[in-house]
Parts: sequence; structure tokens; C-alpha cells
Amino acid sequence: MLDGSGVAATAGAYLARPGRCHLQGNAGRGTAVGVPMIEVREVSRLYHRGVDLVHALERVSLGIPAGRFVALMGPSGSGKSTLLNLLAGLDRPDSGEVVVAGTRLSRLSEDELAAWRARHVGLVFQFFNLLPVLSAVENVELPLLLTKLPRADRRRRAETALSVVGLAARIHHRPAQLSGGEQQRVAIARAIVTDPDLIVADEPTGDLDAKSAVEVLTLLRELNRAFEKTVVMVTHDPRAERFVDTVIRLDKGVLANGGAPAGQSA
Amino acid sequence: MSYTRLVWRNLFRHPLRTLFTTLSIALSIFLVCAVLTLPAAMERIIARVGSSVRISVHHEAGLTYWLPFSYVHKVRAIPGVAAVNHFSWFGGIYDEPKNQFPNFGLDPDHVLAVWPDYKIDPRELARFKRIRNACLVGGATMRKFGWQVGQEITLRGTIFPVNLTLLIVGTIPEGAGNPLVLWFNREYLEEAMESQGGLRGVGMIWVRADAPEHVEGIMHEVNELFRNSEAQVTAETEKSFFMGFFGSFRTFMRLIMAVGVLVVGAVVLIAANTSAMGIRERIPEIAILKSLGFGRRPILLALLAESGTVALVGGLVGAGTAWGLFSALSRAGKTGYSQLLGPLGQFQMSSTVFAEGVSVALVVGLIAGFVPAWNGARLGVVEALRRLF
Amino acid sequence: MAIPLAYPVRSLLVRKWTSVFTAGGVALVVTATVLLLTLVGGLQRMLASSGEPNNVVVLRKGSTNDGVSQVTRDAALALRTMPGVARRADGEPLASFELVNQPFMITRGGGREIVLIRGVEPVAFDVHRAAHLVQGRMFRPHVGEVVVGVGVRGRYVGASLGGEIEFGRRTWKVVGVFDSGGKAFDSEIWADVADVQDDTRRSNYSGVRLTLDPGTDFGTLKQRIEGDGRFTLEAKPETDYYREQADTTQTLYVLVVTLAVIMAIGAVFGALNTMYAAVASRTAEIGTLRALGFGRGAILRSFLGESLVLAGAGFLAGSALAALGVLAVNTLLSGVQFSMMTFSVATVLLHLTPGSLLAGFVIAGLIGLVGGLAPAWRAARLRVVDALHRA
Repeated sequence: MLDGSGVAATAGAYLARPGRCHLQGNAGRGTAVGVPMIEVREVSRLYHRGVDLVHALERVSLGIPAGRFVALMGPSGSGKSTLLNLLAGLDRPDSGEVVVAGTRLSRLSEDELAAWRARHVGLVFQFFNLLPVLSAVENVELPLLLTKLPRADRRRRAETALSVVGLAARIHHRPAQLSGGEQQRVAIARAIVTDPDLIVADEPTGDLDAKSAVEVLTLLRELNRAFEKTVVMVTHDPRAERFVDTVIRLDKGVLANGGAPAGQSA
Repeated sequence: MSYTRLVWRNLFRHPLRTLFTTLSIALSIFLVCAVLTLPAAMERIIARVGSSVRISVHHEAGLTYWLPFSYVHKVRAIPGVAAVNHFSWFGGIYDEPKNQFPNFGLDPDHVLAVWPDYKIDPRELARFKRIRNACLVGGATMRKFGWQVGQEITLRGTIFPVNLTLLIVGTIPEGAGNPLVLWFNREYLEEAMESQGGLRGVGMIWVRADAPEHVEGIMHEVNELFRNSEAQVTAETEKSFFMGFFGSFRTFMRLIMAVGVLVVGAVVLIAANTSAMGIRERIPEIAILKSLGFGRRPILLALLAESGTVALVGGLVGAGTAWGLFSALSRAGKTGYSQLLGPLGQFQMSSTVFAEGVSVALVVGLIAGFVPAWNGARLGVVEALRRLF
Repeated sequence: MAIPLAYPVRSLLVRKWTSVFTAGGVALVVTATVLLLTLVGGLQRMLASSGEPNNVVVLRKGSTNDGVSQVTRDAALALRTMPGVARRADGEPLASFELVNQPFMITRGGGREIVLIRGVEPVAFDVHRAAHLVQGRMFRPHVGEVVVGVGVRGRYVGASLGGEIEFGRRTWKVVGVFDSGGKAFDSEIWADVADVQDDTRRSNYSGVRLTLDPGTDFGTLKQRIEGDGRFTLEAKPETDYYREQADTTQTLYVLVVTLAVIMAIGAVFGALNTMYAAVASRTAEIGTLRALGFGRGAILRSFLGESLVLAGAGFLAGSALAALGVLAVNTLLSGVQFSMMTFSVATVLLHLTPGSLLAGFVIAGLIGLVGGLAPAWRAARLRVVDALHRA
């Protein structure tokens, strides 16, 4: 049975070592008990596609507590990717408010938002995650260029992140030399290297075969458990349901279950 | 890993494309340098021959109108005049008409006084004075025909129905005046012409002022002195005299410079195109970088650095090739005074032209890269992401 | 079956800016090439056409051109009565005594140029058959009247019909304008030979131009002239005389061709980049076309066609720009000046010739061909499976 246990073992083993790495987890991050880490209040978003006006999201509200592994699911065009972009600070709502770890994203300017993202969010996409001209470790180092860390530290953290995802042996490989699953793992390593509060993944397994998909999902779950990272993932993959804590369903821009999503705890 | 490395790696993403663009720029800058040698050549000639204390005196009507010999003595008597010499154009040919070079008869005794800045070797000058049919030759002409000091050469007369056999006793050092000239003793021509009606007058007169402040005054005096005589003169500074010759090349040069502008224009278009193509292909990556938190400025700078580097390398290669080629041609004696281009046929690269060529390349690279880079950097993240999927 | 033309053309239109830039690069290369060739061609043509067939130039032996030659009056008179020289209907021999001078003249812009003055007698217009008056009348002898060539008109201070010009030791009155149809004479001023002798304090001539009598062979006349022991003369056909001067333009031609080739190569690289990128970005389309049943040859021709269309557009734009350039040079700068062996300035008006346009066409075509062939080849050789997979 496919269970990605190899990967999980690596992550766990990592944590068991003396002198924990720089990935600290969210515990004690200062989020008040009972307050959701991510709050979405009456958020709407429309955009133009050609001549049509698409209502991607219509007054959606929800809350996600810290440390949860959440899946956003729904048919094509349901607005799940749009919602994800808003949570990650990649986009702004047309109305409503997004608050993450106490920060109102609408208060931030473009540059501030970029800086906030660099510090607080790790991103994993379905395709094109990695720059083909850079090796795995160089790709993982990328977000660290935005910090003031000296070169040696950057390299060390990148290597650590790659070890956590089980790719210590491939750090100098270029994306073209890695399988689809391995590329996604590198992307995940990059997503965690800055020790963000939130990891956001848009269809991370969409392009992978069954084995790699399970490995990736397992890895995400381990990161969620072991490092207490909040993970929000958009996915079509039915397999995902058994890895996550909560499933939020969207349909045509609104929550499908109408009202509070299943499994949410206040 | 650093921004520099990222830029470097991106340059080698499509090695063939980078190579093509670089070569395209190199070729164009090569041409640009060739074109730029023209005004540079003119300026250098002017600078070289433009002594601030030498004055040329010639017949007002033109150089084919000669002046009475008595004028030489009259000019010598003007206050402020340190020394006087004269030129009489012989127009002799060594082998073929198309290899014509300027040759003049003058007064050997007053060469040092009027042209001390040419720094002619004193021993050679002494022989020039002593030997009747001696001549001094400029470096470029020596090289062109492969002459040696001590050699005897014969110049076929064209204007004058006599041939002159001359002994080369020395050279006129490089960096002094026109490197093509040949100077001989005017009296030798006079003797040769005795049976043919003699030699009347001189072609033009050269005056050296004792101080730059006196130049204006001397010129005025000279013009006035001969105002109502048989031959009215124009006295002008040496610089002005040579500038007059370049007038006829002006349009030609303008046309060539216009071609140069066209070439630069073509390069900008080609470079801009390539730059835009490259950036368009990398929109997904730019989106990722932005999503990671890289702002507009670092992305813009990285993209500009790419196009700038390609342009710079292309510029160095192009200007370097021009340098090498023209230096080699010059050493082989293939450049120089040409029938059609006159003194502009020299095609000599200077470090200024080299720098200008490379600068043009750099500016081109930055201009051509700017708009695509700006558009790329400004791309909204979500827009870009949407384009991916 | 061939891919419809609409596909390459529409593809070009979709990649609007890329296509414009690439075509623009080709256009500029074409413009530069055409302009340069027009320039050199104009000069060559002027020199090559300046010689009248059946005219003979007689100079002192060893002289390279008019300006340095001297022929005595005695010799000139002897030449006039020599058998073999054609005669006018009224019996006057077609022998033109000429004295050439090269004084300074001031241009309207204040510059100083050396101009060629040809002292002639009225028979010059019969010997130089191509020259004819287009304005005013012929000068009268001994009164300082001149006629100017069309290239001179308007260029110098006072150089138009009725005006007064200054050169040499005096002023002269312009009583007519003549046109020699593009020959070197267009840049000359013709005056009464006696006046010119006066002005230059000379009593001889530079040379004599004769028209060969149809019944005589050139060789015979040449023998007669050169064999005459009283004088040292040299005779050559006028066409040869000017062709020798045209030799100096050989270097210029080589230079221009080199320039054009270098520019074209630069543009080829640009085209290659564009076309390779086009192929790379459209692998999916190519796969689809192949899957639909279009063969390799069709793909090759389609992409090559794109490249040629770009080059063609460039040619049209470039030619238009060149035409503008020619117009500008002719009207604003009144032509291009060259100095020839005689150091005087000749003005060449530019004419867009079929030859230069053809050269531009060929260059554009080569750019399109070479720039498009390799990428088109690559497109044709894509394996269907790979192409679709990359989609």
C-alpha cells in the first residue's frame, strides 16, 4: 500500500535530532487562543475574462485555526484558487477583509504585501514552481535572498529544508533532472525554508502520478504535524481528504455547505 | 547563489539565442566604430596640423593661382613674424595616379624655423639643406611604397613637364602634420624647369608667428598688405585652412553617419525583440519570484542586467574587432589618403572611438531591454499566474 | 496538402510586436543598403556615362587629367585641322579647345569649395553633345559671361540665371544653365576660354576634345596625334578617360558591399532568434497540424513562408524609407559631393535605381531565407508525439 512512509520517517527523524533546525513550528507564535489564525470576512472578488465578468467569490466568510491542514475543494470555476490567492496575499478582494495572524492584509501596500508574503507564507504551485536554470538548493535559497542572512547561512538553511523533504542527495540537480514528485518536494522545501506561518498549496499533486502524489501529501501532513505549520491546499484529488483535518467546499463562488464549513471549530 | 548568479544562469538558458544576439550586436558595433572613425579622423587631423602659431597665406582665388615670389620677402618683414617658408605643389606621381600623395618644393633653410614642432631629426635636416635633390618623406608614404632612407626615387611630373629624381635623406616623424607629404628643395625644380620657361612664383606661403597673440595682427597685416596688388591673398590660420578641405566631404560624411544611425536603429530593434521574447517566456518564473516576495525593482534590475551584459559583450567584441582589423590594415599600409575619401580613408581607431562604440552598445542594451523588462517586472502576480493556468 | 497562407500570416499578426521589430530590423538594413548603393551607383554612373562615344580626349603626354595638363595653342590648332576629326554641317571642325581651372567659390551656406571651371568656345556644345541649354542663352566671348551646369545652380552665391558669381580675380555673370544628363559636366561652370586664360594668366590650354569622324578609325587618329614629333600629346577615347576616374570608385563599391553584407548578417541573427522562438512556442500547434495530417514539407514551407513574409514586409518598408532618404538628400542637401582626381567637387544627385532596389530585395530575401530555414527545418522535424506531449 502506498503510504509515503519513507518521507514521513525522514521528517520525523529530522526532528528527533539534537539541536533542532530553524523550523520552529507555530507553537507560541502569539496567536490568541480561540482566535482563528486566518479570518476571511465577507470577501468578494470579480474579474474580467475576455468580455465576461466572472464573480469568482461572493461574500465568503470563514475562519481557519492555527495548525490546521485544510483542503479547499470544489468543481472547476468554483473560486477555490481565487480564495487561496487572497489568503496568501497574492491578490486583493474587491470587498471584504482578509486577516492573517492578526494582520489586515488590506492595510498593506503592494511592497508591504510582498514583504509580508516573503516572511509569512510559503507557496507551492501545480506547475512551473522551480526556475529551470537553478539547481534544487539554489531554488530553495531564492526566498532567502530577500533576507539579510549571510550566504553561508542561506546555504545551510536551504540544505536543511531539502533534507527535511528527503532530497539531501539531490541538492545540486536541476529541475530537468528531477521527477515530477521530486520537483514538488523541492518546491515544498522552498516553501518552508523561511519558516513561514502559513503554507499555501495550489493543486500540488495535480500533475503527479499516484505514488508521488501520496508522497507529497504525506510530506505536507508531516510538516503540518511536526512543525505545526498551518497548511491550506486547493485540490481536486479525492485522496487528499484522508490527509487533511478539514475540507472546505466551494461552488460557484460561495461555500457549498452554506454557513460554517464542516469540521470547523471555533 | 546570488542575484548575479541568477542573471548569469539566465544568459545561458538559450545559449544559441544569446550567441546570436551578441554577434548581431557585435557586427553592428563594428560598423558603428568604422563610421565613427570618420569624424574622429577629421578631428585628429585638425588637431595634429592645427598649430596655433602657424598661418597659411594663399591667393584669394584658389590654390591654382600662384603668388609672386616677392611676397615671401614682404611677409617676412611684417612685425611679429618669426619665420616664413613656402610651398609649391609639384603633383608628381611615383607609380600610379591613384596612389598620388602630396609633394611640395620648399625652402630647406627655413624648415626648422617654421615647423619646429615636427621634430625632424637635425642630422636629416642638415642633409636636406646640403644635398640639392634631397627630400624628406612622411611615414605613411614611406610605408606605402616600402621606401628606405638613402633610396633614390623618381617622381613623374604631371603639371610640370619634368621628372624629378630625389634622394630620400630622412622622414617626417609621425604625429606631425600630414603623414603623406614629401618635401624637396624648390630650387631643384626651378633648375629643372629652366629650359621649359622657368618657375614663376610660389603656390602658398607659410608663416610662423612669434607668439599666439600676434596671429590675428599678422593675418590682418598680410591681407591689407596685398589688398590692391596684382594678387590679393587670404591669410588664415593653419586650422582654418585644413578645415576648408573637409567641406566637400561633409555631405558624404553625413550620409555615412546616417547609415550608422540606421545600423544602430536596427540593432535596437533586434535586441529589443530578443529581450522581449526571452522575458515573455519567463513570465511564469517572474510570477513565482513575485509570489515569493521579490519586488518590482530587483526583478527589473535583474532583467536589465541581462540585456545590458549581452550588449556589453557584443559591444566589446565588435569594437575590439574593429580595433584589430583597422590596426592591421594601417600597419599593412592599406589605409590612408584615398582618392575618393581624401584624408578620411585612414580608418584609424582610437581609444575614444572604442569607448564610443562600447557605450553605444551599452545604451542600446539598456534601451532595448528596458520596455520588456519594465513590463515584465510590473506584471501583476495573479495576472501572471492566471496566464499560466 | 499545403497549409493555408492564412496560418503563417495570422501567426505573424498575433505576435504583433515581435513581427514589427524583426521586420523593422530588416527594413533598416534594406534602407541602408539601398541608399549606399544609390550613392555609389550615382557616382559610378556619372563617371562612366560622362564619356561620349566617338569623342577623344587629347592631353599632354603623361598627364592624368585635365587639371594638370598643358597643350599649346600651336598644338591645338594642328589638332583642329587634322584629318579624322569630324566636322559640323557648316564645315567647322568638332574640336573643342578647353582650359580647366579650379578656383575657390563660396557656397550659399558660407563654405568654401573648389569648383571646376572649363574655359570653352561655343563649339564645346557640339562636341559634348549631351550638354544643352535649359535656361537662358550661351555666353558671349570676352565679356565675362558664363553658363552653369544644373548641379551648380543654386549651390553657390549668385549661381542662378541672371546672378553674378565670384571666382578667380573677377566677377562673372550667369547667362544660362545647361544640363548634360547626369554627366560630370553638370557640376562645372563653362566660361569663354579667352576669359579664363586671362584670369589664370595662361596662354595655353589644358587639352582638346575632338569628335572622331565616322569614316576614321580611332587607332589611326591616335597614331597621327601621338606620332606628331612637334608636340608630346596623348589621345584616348573620352569613355576610357572617365572610366579611369571611375576606377577609384571600385574601392568604394567594395566597401559598400562589405557594409551591406555585415549588416545583413546581423539582421539574419535577429531573424533566427525570432523564428526559433516562434517554433519553440508553437510546438503544440505543430503537433496538432502534424496529427491532423499535414506533412513535414508543409510545415517547413509554412514557417519558411512566415520568415519570408517578414522579410518582404521589411523590404517594402525599407525601400519606402530609402526613397524618402533620396528625396531628402536631393532637395535638402542638393545632392552629395565627391571630390575626384582633380580635387574639384562634383555633385551627384541620387536616383533610386532598379539595381539598388533589386539589391535590397535580394538582401531581404536572403535574410528571410537564411533566418527562416534552420528554424523551419526544426519545426518540420519535430516528432508528433514530442510536440503534443509538450503541450
